[in-house]
Amino acid sequence: MENYAIEMLNITKTFSGKAANDNISIQLRKGEIHALLGENGAGKSTLMSILFGLYQADSGIIKKDGEVIEIKGPKDANKYRIGMVHQHFKLVEVFTVLENIILGCETTKFGFIQKKEAKEKIKALSEEYGLNVDLDKLIENTTVGMQQRVEILKMLYRDNDILIFDEPTAVLTPQEIEDLLKIMKNLANSGKSILFITHKINEILAVADRCTVLRKGKYIGTVNISETTKSELTEMMVGRKVEFVVQKKESVPGDVILDVNNLVVAGAKKNKNSVNNVSFKVRQGEIVCIAGIDGNGQSELVYSITGLEKIKSGSVLLKGEDITNANVYRRNKLGIGHIPEDRHKYGLVLDFTLENNLVLKKFEEERFQKFKFIKRDEIREYANKLIEEFDIRSPQGPTNLARTMSGGNQQKAIIAREIDLNPELLIAVQPTRGLDVGAIEFIHKQIVAQRDLGKAVLLVSLELDEVMNLSDRILVMYEGEIVGELNPKETSVKELGLYMSGAKRNVKEGN
Amino acid sequence: MPGWLWFLLQFVIIASIFAYFIIAGKKAKKENKTTWFMKTWKKDSVKAITSSVMSIILGLVIGCLILVIMAIIPSKTSSLSLKTALDGIQLVFSGVFNTGRGASGLTFGFNGVNFGDMLFRATPLILTGLSVAVAFKTGLFNIGAPGQYLASTAVTLILALAIPTSVVPPLFVWLIAFLGGILAGAIWGAVPGLFKSFLNVNEVITCIMMNWIGANVVTILFDKESGPFKFLLDPSGTKNLAYVFKTTHNNVATSKFGLDLIFKGSQVNGGIIIAIIIAILIFIILDKTTFGYKLKACGSNKNAAKYAGINDKVATIISMAIAGGLAGAGAALYYLSGNTEFAWETYQSLPAVGFNGIPVALLACNNPLGVIFSATFISLLDVNGMQLKYMTPYNEYITSIISAFIVYFSAFSLLFRQVLDGSIKINLKSKFSKKSSATVEIVDKKDEKVANQEVSE
Repeated sequence: MENYAIEMLNITKTFSGKAANDNISIQLRKGEIHALLGENGAGKSTLMSILFGLYQADSGIIKKDGEVIEIKGPKDANKYRIGMVHQHFKLVEVFTVLENIILGCETTKFGFIQKKEAKEKIKALSEEYGLNVDLDKLIENTTVGMQQRVEILKMLYRDNDILIFDEPTAVLTPQEIEDLLKIMKNLANSGKSILFITHKINEILAVADRCTVLRKGKYIGTVNISETTKSELTEMMVGRKVEFVVQKKESVPGDVILDVNNLVVAGAKKNKNSVNNVSFKVRQGEIVCIAGIDGNGQSELVYSITGLEKIKSGSVLLKGEDITNANVYRRNKLGIGHIPEDRHKYGLVLDFTLENNLVLKKFEEERFQKFKFIKRDEIREYANKLIEEFDIRSPQGPTNLARTMSGGNQQKAIIAREIDLNPELLIAVQPTRGLDVGAIEFIHKQIVAQRDLGKAVLLVSLELDEVMNLSDRILVMYEGEIVGELNPKETSVKELGLYMSGAKRNVKEGN
Repeated sequence: MPGWLWFLLQFVIIASIFAYFIIAGKKAKKENKTTWFMKTWKKDSVKAITSSVMSIILGLVIGCLILVIMAIIPSKTSSLSLKTALDGIQLVFSGVFNTGRGASGLTFGFNGVNFGDMLFRATPLILTGLSVAVAFKTGLFNIGAPGQYLASTAVTLILALAIPTSVVPPLFVWLIAFLGGILAGAIWGAVPGLFKSFLNVNEVITCIMMNWIGANVVTILFDKESGPFKFLLDPSGTKNLAYVFKTTHNNVATSKFGLDLIFKGSQVNGGIIIAIIIAILIFIILDKTTFGYKLKACGSNKNAAKYAGINDKVATIISMAIAGGLAGAGAALYYLSGNTEFAWETYQSLPAVGFNGIPVALLACNNPLGVIFSATFISLLDVNGMQLKYMTPYNEYITSIISAFIVYFSAFSLLFRQVLDGSIKINLKSKFSKKSSATVEIVDKKDEKVANQEVSE
């Protein structure tokens, strides 16, 4: 009999009558990286929550090293040396890295924390696995990548040997992802067993040994990565063939819609502008993509065009009209649709119902109000129309609270709202972040459809695949400036990377 | 009706309602049906009401415990006994129905005076409660209701007393005073709104400052020796404490709307009807209009509101002005009743009715219609307390402690709400099976909802 580190056998878990996990089994070998693949809502998180003790399974057993164990809560999980890096990090912002790592298992002497010993242990661990962290920095001052390394160190500090990574790459830049995958390999080589939850197949192919696929709460199968292909995994996950390359016709650019001239946006620090002297144009019927590593001024550029942030100097023209100092309402009315980067902060009022969110920019239109009284029935009807058109799924339909919808469906709701505004200029910032393959395909199709209708599309993305697939023209931003304009057909991911890291630049003025 | 019978009747009615729902629910569960009750139970509003009722009951029970403890502590001077504690408990629960004391103890039935007084005291509370609730809906904490109330008090009284009714008909004077009071409150409320919008100063700080500015301005206005409106003071007062004339001095008073016929001998007047109408109007504005939609959008997510093109600064100012106007309306209705006098002091204190708007709003989960009931309830406690004072040897301070407990537990209504939602599980089993105390397990709300979502997809 093979020796497994963790086995979850015939796990079933139902929530109010519906099975989130239906008779699922997964066996994790010692020292392997085992991927758990599935779309949003396939039951991955539920399964891992059961392993981590956050939920109790209705039936099925969990075995560690061949012995049946019972996990009633995270404390039990810790006892059996199971650690988890959550998708949203569980760190105390105002504590230092060191304090976060030892939180909950501090060694004390007469009630005083013995930081020195802890420090030495952590240093040894970080050297062993290449986890570079600055122990004395406050979490709020560290990058997302470092926060994740802190989470990993937290597990290692507790001597966990079963490590669960829940969608660890969703928040990372391409470079950080590469580093993380390396770290994961190191960990596996030194005997740790890793469960890697993701819906990004490229990453699985890069690091995993085996992969278990779930779909709609059901077990589909477990495959050896060395014997499988990307398209096979995708088909297992989605249940049908998926096109990775977006089908689109040649772009036919028309009139200039957005004209940005020498735009400067002040940065958080006074001596540095977050957007510095940026000029570009977006025409009808083209998708212009702003590529770059996160934090190089893309967000500020978008906020200044949409009116959420003040412009220091320069001008923004929409269809020839100067909107440099116009308020957000005016800009929306003139035809800017904006799919924001942060859907929880800007995109949705989470405590509003889905229908109220769908009319967020339209509730003052004649058809939704009479003498300022809201016409509920009209809104319901309109919401139902969008829900059907864009396949927005939620348990209670239009009256479902936005907060309780899945990320993919929240994003679909925003996209439905913005596209139905029928905007002249659609600004989409990372429209597919954190979404699964099926949803990404859908959203890409919608964006291309907008372009084909003769709309101008400004896309901001950190995903190189998306940039290369979707755009008609690429502008690369580096440290607040546009450092290059590229044609996706003539360039390569490698060249794009050079521009993004600031190693190369070519600037054509005034296009 | 004798007291113990009355008490038993209440208990039996409540217990049988509970029993019905439990039995009906169990039966339906067996047959795998959903009853009307189970469907209603899932509604948010029902959960909100239940959680408020739970906190009230808990507060009342603790209050009764205090009465019993007071009674059994041996003391030479006190005349308390378990018998009086029993009387006290009856009064805490249903003092408003007390009709006096018969041969066999307290008697209960419909008491017009108590009922009318309860409604009269509820009038300003409904409006200060609305004031706090409206601000909460827009994401603001209006702790400035006392100041707004005071500002309105001064303006209302000045207008109602200084405009000669020989020239202007009393009804118009009443209207001018009422609107003037609202306007004064609105201005007092708008100031923190302006500071918040344009200088990003936390509204709690400016509200508290406006409270004391209001208190001192009132002191100056009605100063017995140098105040510009000292001629409105009843000359019988002392140097440090004097009363402003009742508005009836100038023949100005709120119409009784016939309420005095129903509740004979009480202080009730048409103010309660106006307050209820205002509450309904606020409910309609918040729930049915685009304006309310804007305010609520700003309150739940300021950034998203900004993103949608809603002017969040204007919304903040207007919302605070409305909140102030509501508190002002409360003061105006209270003093225009004609039978209340405003006590001026050298060191003006802040009116408690302003602060009591906070528990009223919390108890009602910020629902404008709920505020009508929660405010009436708080004033019911007041009336019950008065009965306790009159009918038993307990002194009046005990009643304040009991209502304080209920207000205190009203802050727990959110906790009860989470228990009802199932996001907090209280594990009672472990309390009895093991030695450890009851464990409260807080389930990450988001995780659970995500998990539920996964199922539905």
